[in-house]
Amino acid sequence: MDWFATNRTMKESDNPSVSQLSRREFFKGLGTTALAAATSQAQSVAQELRKLQAEKVFGPGAVPVTLHVNGKIHRLEVEPRVTLLDALRNHLGLTGSKEGCDRASCGACTVWLDGRAIYACQKLAIDSQGHEITTIEGLAPNGQLTPVQRAFVDRDALQCGYCTPGFVMSVSALLRKKPQPTPEEVIHACAGNICRCGTHPRIVEAALIAAGRPAASTPRTEVISYG
Amino acid sequence: MAEWPTQPKVLGTRVPRVDGPAKVSGQARYSSDIQLPGLLIGMILRSRWPAARILRINLDKARKMPGIKAAVAVQEGPRIVRFYGEELAAVAGVSREACEDALRVIEVEAEPLPFVVREEDAKKPDAPRVWEQAPNMPPPRVQETGNVDAAWAECAAIVEGFYTTSVQLHHPMEPHGGTAHWTEEGLTAWISTQGIASVRDGLAGALRLEQSKVRVITEYMGGGFGSKFGPGVEGILAARLSREAGAPVRLMLSRFEESLAVGNRPSSFQRIKLGAKADGTLHVFDYENYGTAGIGAGQATEGGGGGADLPMPYIYQVPNRRIKQTAVAVNAGSARPFRAPGHPVASFGMESAMDELAVKLGMDPLELRIKNDPFEIRRREYKIGAERFGWKEKYRKPGTSPGPVKVGVGVASATWGGGGSRNTRGEVQINPDGTVEVRLGVQDIGTGTRTVAAVVAAEVLGLKPEQIHVKIGDTLYPLGPGSGGSVTAPSVAPTVFDVCTRALEELQKQTGVSDARGDNWKTACKKLGVNPLTVQGRWREGLSSSGVGGVQFAEVAVDTETGLVTVKKILVVQDCGLVVDPLTAESQVNGGVIMGIGMALYEERVMDWQTGLVLNPNYETYKLPSIADVPEIDIILLNMPERGVIGLGEPVHIPTAAAIANAVANAIGVRVPSLPITPRKVLTALGQVPVRRSSAT
Amino acid sequence: MRPFEYVTATSIETARQLLGANGHYLAGGNDLLGRLKDDITEAVRLVNIKGIGALRHIEPGPDRWQIGALVTIAEIEDHAELRKIFPGLQQAAAEVGSQQIRNVATLGGNLAQHSRCWYYRHRDIQCLKKRGRICYALEGDNRYHALFTGNVCISPVVSNLAIALTALDATAVIWRDGQERRLTMAELYELAWDNPTAHHSLRPGDLLLRVEIPTKRPRSAYLQVSEKHSFDWALVSCAAAARLENGRIYDARVALGCISPVPHQVAAANQFLEGKPLERDVAEKAADLLLTGAEPHEHNAYKIPMARALIRRTLLQLGT
Repeated sequence: MDWFATNRTMKESDNPSVSQLSRREFFKGLGTTALAAATSQAQSVAQELRKLQAEKVFGPGAVPVTLHVNGKIHRLEVEPRVTLLDALRNHLGLTGSKEGCDRASCGACTVWLDGRAIYACQKLAIDSQGHEITTIEGLAPNGQLTPVQRAFVDRDALQCGYCTPGFVMSVSALLRKKPQPTPEEVIHACAGNICRCGTHPRIVEAALIAAGRPAASTPRTEVISYG
Repeated sequence: MAEWPTQPKVLGTRVPRVDGPAKVSGQARYSSDIQLPGLLIGMILRSRWPAARILRINLDKARKMPGIKAAVAVQEGPRIVRFYGEELAAVAGVSREACEDALRVIEVEAEPLPFVVREEDAKKPDAPRVWEQAPNMPPPRVQETGNVDAAWAECAAIVEGFYTTSVQLHHPMEPHGGTAHWTEEGLTAWISTQGIASVRDGLAGALRLEQSKVRVITEYMGGGFGSKFGPGVEGILAARLSREAGAPVRLMLSRFEESLAVGNRPSSFQRIKLGAKADGTLHVFDYENYGTAGIGAGQATEGGGGGADLPMPYIYQVPNRRIKQTAVAVNAGSARPFRAPGHPVASFGMESAMDELAVKLGMDPLELRIKNDPFEIRRREYKIGAERFGWKEKYRKPGTSPGPVKVGVGVASATWGGGGSRNTRGEVQINPDGTVEVRLGVQDIGTGTRTVAAVVAAEVLGLKPEQIHVKIGDTLYPLGPGSGGSVTAPSVAPTVFDVCTRALEELQKQTGVSDARGDNWKTACKKLGVNPLTVQGRWREGLSSSGVGGVQFAEVAVDTETGLVTVKKILVVQDCGLVVDPLTAESQVNGGVIMGIGMALYEERVMDWQTGLVLNPNYETYKLPSIADVPEIDIILLNMPERGVIGLGEPVHIPTAAAIANAVANAIGVRVPSLPITPRKVLTALGQVPVRRSSAT
Repeated sequence: MRPFEYVTATSIETARQLLGANGHYLAGGNDLLGRLKDDITEAVRLVNIKGIGALRHIEPGPDRWQIGALVTIAEIEDHAELRKIFPGLQQAAAEVGSQQIRNVATLGGNLAQHSRCWYYRHRDIQCLKKRGRICYALEGDNRYHALFTGNVCISPVVSNLAIALTALDATAVIWRDGQERRLTMAELYELAWDNPTAHHSLRPGDLLLRVEIPTKRPRSAYLQVSEKHSFDWALVSCAAAARLENGRIYDARVALGCISPVPHQVAAANQFLEGKPLERDVAEKAADLLLTGAEPHEHNAYKIPMARALIRRTLLQLGT
């Protein structure tokens, strides 16, 4: 996978939203050129939408909402009070993002909004229009795991797995921004994700391995044969 | 008796869990992810009173709300509710929003009753009674051995202490609940559970259905830690709503509800007096304890303590001992088993007293333990651990570390059973194309059940783990035990060994291939013709055992000016018989330790005495360890293949909190005798907090 | 959540018009949506203000910087130059919530957030701050509560950025009654000192536009103590800012969070520091002045020694 390399030159800190070019590069890196087409199409749709929606009052009943998720455009009818997480899980059938707290405190619902990790539970669906949303299903749409996902599996950085999509999204967002993070940066990026099974040391290892830092993979564990 | 192969190819190797790819890609379907045509959302109305007489519940308005398809009361007619959050009614509708709106218009007529939510208030004789028929705190049960009163005179050192622990909440990441679909054929329920069989039987019993008409499916579940064995009120309500609506209903609890009504670990208030002879031999132990299991403590006043009883004097043998235990009922949700029930709490009390005793005797705390520990494996674990940890170099007299950030070390230990269930069944299907399906009526709570089964099957059949398709989490498969007591691996591994061994023999018999394993596998399977080979089997003797010991060493840094405790390192030395898969075994160790850090430093359910409500029903104020709170975790597993497979999930959680508490006391020279050890308690123990007035109690 | 209308505003003026009588501005939404979900706040309409481009900029300047109210906490945290000029602000931003929160939370939302008091935040408790009759924290569990207050409510201000910006003597510029108004940080919160139902001095309809931060204090620092090591509210927070010349302190300002309904400042402490050497004894004397008159409750007296240590450490960090 080379999409880390592709994105390494991005200067995200200068701009709150990822540039259109890098976004397209990003999806191409995922191996889906069809998505790239959908992406630019979504851009123009989003701009149109923004114009149409400005200063028009919607709701409180169900209103048309257009979401751009994993390179596809979805049109749905939901009330303004419906969260992005609810829209993803209950209206679009994308159940990879989990509901753990519904209060922006556990990270099981972490998705990307324009490439940045956010809590989908504390964002309204209607307020997510015009942005590119990436869920765990969009990371590896063809069933091939990303280096981060592969490292999570190899290092067993999961147990029950309910928090795992959220952690994968947090780690992957970090690596887009900082391809060579320190352990402290991994911790800073993942402090908003809770894991009750206690996989945290493995998550740090997986993140560093995915970033190409094999030193971190040295197992600290020893099995002593004892008869 | 069966035996594991002495030269294993797969057993004991680091096999990534076989369902890892499904979990990291969001493809794994949890009970909360089930999508069905016409699926409705269910939601529960709960008591806003900590105690009340419910006179009437009117669902008429709720039924007429847009999008609402069903509404049911938990119980018809007047009743009493005994805790804030007790279930009253439930609705099912087309969306979360429809349900929220409908819950608001349900009319509940109730007479509030007096309540009591704090242990120290509830035990007073004039406290409001949680259960009308019995006092909140019955007289303790007393067990006495030897002559306690006379034995003190024979002691060279005596210590006394009062140790307390808080009520903890399980807070699995996936809340309780599931999806129920009631049709004419019967009930299918996708429940987030640790026991598909017990949920099936619980649903059948509560709904008066034949067990054969109930199917429970739990392909993936997001953690339970002891709180998810039954269908729960929420599971039963989901089924009732589905019946009334004629449609499938998904009812998952919110994090708020998780904090109220689906279990907790009882608190403890332990008064310990411990005496030893001059050489450190424990001689006398006098113990009083009570804790609360919520309203469960009251229900149990005729018998046990609702889960509040502790195994004392824990791992030690003391010839003269008196143990008095009881429980106190409060208006709060009932306790449920919580990872190694009783043990971490007992370990905290006992190991704290042991360290105090060591100081008084002028002994190294580690030496005192080795001297008094009756379990040979654990005595060796202390020595292995001490060397790896550098105990001799790191241990100093309490409080002698230079400040303001002081370091300290502590040690504590565990005992656990972890044997398998002989009632476990399983089956394997070998298809003519060579694919292998292992089917087990068990569930994976995150420990890696599929992987354990795949490793054993691969070992027996000479295949690779990824060639084995393990199907679990369905009551249509041959049933096994619930995942509690660390029994799953020692139940599953011998069962899979049995079915695969039988299947291999049968395959070889039917096909005439003398050794069908490995390279011959495909050829042999092809000879099966059109029909697959299906073989059933059961748990086999000799491949598992029970009884483990574990010791943990903790190193902490305590900021004596802010009170903040930082765990620097935990060393775990644990036996678990044959290590099936070191990779997933280590994950369980990490998990046990990290949960122990939560118990030691962060976790506490807070009740408000004025309103009777849980004050911290969220992750923001019920604090769980996060990635920044996790230290270096060093793990030594003692591999003893001849003992067979033994469960690991619970013992590795037991000693962590006690070891940390001892390390904090070693660092700062005074003991914080109360969990969790918050900055507030550290500063108070150090005498830095100005005293304003005495406690309101 | 109860039903509400939703509208996107494109300018400051129309945002105010669209808000109506019982609307709320929506930016990052972390605080607002939490309150709506727990039925703490009612809303007929949410006015999304994120489309107002004028509020999104960080504008450096020789004498003062301007930071728009819609600048996210992550942008503040990651801004390389800001980190050099106002290290205390950057440190405060890095301690806000989690990465997911910082990515959407805005400066304005952080400053205008409501109390985190667990009585106030409980859906089934009608406390004084919610126009109920009593402050339950007074006789209840007040471990997270204030040491100072001018009224009966003892819930403290918890905004990290408010504390850092107070030490930096920032000015908040708000839109009120059709024009810009300039408030000191003290003024931005002073209403909460007297009025138990207030979280700050903003009135319904007021819109935070930006803060302006003078550059005259090149040294600044922020420290907090929480129960956990990350993603946890501060028990006590402290910010300090000053100019250092030959090891002596000038124009010093120290502010404390989580111990008062307003950013806690004591003029006498700031005055005392003027021209003093940056030394431990001086810092401790300033701490004494800052904590004089603290009134602890049953469970929060620990905040006094904790604050004392934090004040000293924060001041000494100015010299590093």
